[in-house]
Amino acid sequence: MKFHKSFRHALNMVLHAKIRSWLTILGIVIGVAAVVAIVSLGEGLKQDMSSQLNMLGGDILTLRAGASRAMMFGPGREFGGSTSASTEEVVLDNKDVQALKSVSDIKAFDTQISGRADIYYVAEKGSATVTGVDPATWAQITTSEVAQGRMLGPADSNVIVVGGRIADGFFKTQLGVNQMLTINERVFRIVGILDDSSSNVYMPINMAYEVLDDKEKGVYDTIVIKVKNEDEVELAMNNTEKRLMLSRHVTEKTKDFSLSSNQQSNEARSEMMSSMTTFLTAIAAVALLVGAVGIANTMFTSVLEKTKEIGIMKAIGARNSDILLIFLMNAALIGFIGGLLGAIFGTILSGLLPSLMGSTADGMLSRLASGSAVSIQSIVVALAVSVFIGMAAGAIPAYQASKLKPVDALRYE
Amino acid sequence: MKQPLVVLKDVWKIYQMGEVKVPALRGVSVEIHKGDFVAIIGQSGSGKSTMMNMVGCLDMPTKGSVHLKSHNISELSESDLSTMRGKAVGFIFQQYNLIPNMTAFENVMLPLEFLEIDDAEAEKKTIEVLKLVGLENYMHHLPSQLSGGQQQRVSIARSLVTDPEIILADEPTGALDSVTGKEVIETLQRLWREEGKTIIMVTHDLNLAKYAHRHVELKDGKVIDIRENKNMKKGDTK
Ligand SMILES: Nc1ncnc2c1ncn2[C@@H]1O[C@H](COP(=O)(O)OP(=O)(O)OP(=O)(O)O)[C@@H](O)[C@H]1O
Ligand SMILES: [Mg+2]
Repeated sequence: MKFHKSFRHALNMVLHAKIRSWLTILGIVIGVAAVVAIVSLGEGLKQDMSSQLNMLGGDILTLRAGASRAMMFGPGREFGGSTSASTEEVVLDNKDVQALKSVSDIKAFDTQISGRADIYYVAEKGSATVTGVDPATWAQITTSEVAQGRMLGPADSNVIVVGGRIADGFFKTQLGVNQMLTINERVFRIVGILDDSSSNVYMPINMAYEVLDDKEKGVYDTIVIKVKNEDEVELAMNNTEKRLMLSRHVTEKTKDFSLSSNQQSNEARSEMMSSMTTFLTAIAAVALLVGAVGIANTMFTSVLEKTKEIGIMKAIGARNSDILLIFLMNAALIGFIGGLLGAIFGTILSGLLPSLMGSTADGMLSRLASGSAVSIQSIVVALAVSVFIGMAAGAIPAYQASKLKPVDALRYE
Repeated sequence: MKQPLVVLKDVWKIYQMGEVKVPALRGVSVEIHKGDFVAIIGQSGSGKSTMMNMVGCLDMPTKGSVHLKSHNISELSESDLSTMRGKAVGFIFQQYNLIPNMTAFENVMLPLEFLEIDDAEAEKKTIEVLKLVGLENYMHHLPSQLSGGQQQRVSIARSLVTDPEIILADEPTGALDSVTGKEVIETLQRLWREEGKTIIMVTHDLNLAKYAHRHVELKDGKVIDIRENKNMKKGDTK
């Protein structure tokens, strides 16, 4: 039988398939959609992160109270504050500020606190991360840039700068500069909108103490430091550390603060992101594997069901290779259709996920929100893989079908 | 004398049923010549279908030899057997055995597809044989949309489409009422008379057997009688 004829028979078989076959296809659809969505998100993340990495100067250090831990999230992006107390509360306060002032390698620093707060626009409500920053130094240190309006300045008090998503997508109406938001019964005027897609709100730290109830005045969550010479970050870090250890009366062993460079935390973050992507991809791959088992199962049943037809075809001159090819292509088509639908759903899903996540969470997830990258390449790979899976899963059943003895097959009811 | 088309020489077929051996054929020897219309008769279980399946290359003898067009079928490769089934013989089954989700037209054309005949030629031939069995108006019906007699005529058309020398019919009227059954038999007879086909038909209806010009009677896997049908001579009318 000619190839295109076998193909037509295989296609016919798929089109006349019972619901069972479509359920099998669904298995592949889910697997492929999951893989495509996750890989695309991971890809988008990587692109986003490398652009961030380029954007961020390596001249930023972040100081936190408490023993050193992996700095996964950058400044202003942690979940909640770090005010948890052990036996004796370890905090950053004015003493540290004074200490930092005496380090010659430091160009400027920005004392920050941050926490969640409800924000209101007219009658709408939402939850966002509010970060209080030193209005005098923030603009100079932060890597964020405004898309509209201006950054905070030293004389500001009842004004805020908001992330891109707060202005666009957070509330039903799009917000612009000079509009008012109410946070914890205080009214703030938006003076700037950042050129990002975060849902963060930045305000002068004095106001943040009023807005964030659980923060104690004079205590800082983080201090963001800009060093003078970018090429000597290590040195600046060491000097700063020594100075702080002195002022806080701690040794290397009992150190109760952590100082990390942006470079470090970016590396840690990208490492964590890539291992998370790998992990999710592995889960999706398992889904795909289950789909493959489903195809094999359906193919076995289908061969059994079609035993009589196979007998008929053999009785009228079908070769073993004809039967083999028809069933193999049937399996490949199931894989292909599943892969195609899966790629489509995966693409839609990966477009949808960021906005879903962006409106309900921020911090790390808002990094995901900055977009995904579905590449033609990943779709082609997904299709190729699912066709391959289909054929691999269908190989044994197809071979069995081709080896059926005509008399036995005809006898089958 | 001309070489016979089909030669069965001391053919045994023994089925292994677990521990027990069931001999379905026990030393059958028959010769069938070109242009014969042979009826194989005998009780149920006498081995008629078993014998037929071997002539149609669907099964192999346990012992002895089956020669089809001078080829020993036991010595043919799997792919040569397929070609034989496709080209040399046309099978008509009691249960029609059409493929349910293909139309009459597609069912009839299928053997030609396996032989890789060009589409244009295959379609022409398919229409030709469908006309021959009087189904030109039912070509695009599915088997489920046809009556039993029509389905059997589709299967006759399918057996004819590759122009085989031998038509094998295993109780072709078994599932039909007597009137429709007679029509089918008459179609077969026409093929024998007008197209010069060699026809081997299994039946246990003696009324139908009388259309054949020779009767081979089986009993318990043995040939007990071969007789000419005096009323139906070879090449009678034509
Ligand atoms: N695949 C098989 N396995 C075991 N025994 C079989 C098999 N096929 C046929 N037989 C046995 O061989 C014998 C002959 O069977 P066959 O089908 O040839 O009979 P038949 O003459 O065609 O009967 P009927 O008129 O009922 O169709 C029977 O006893 C049957 O049980
Ligand atoms: Mg029988």
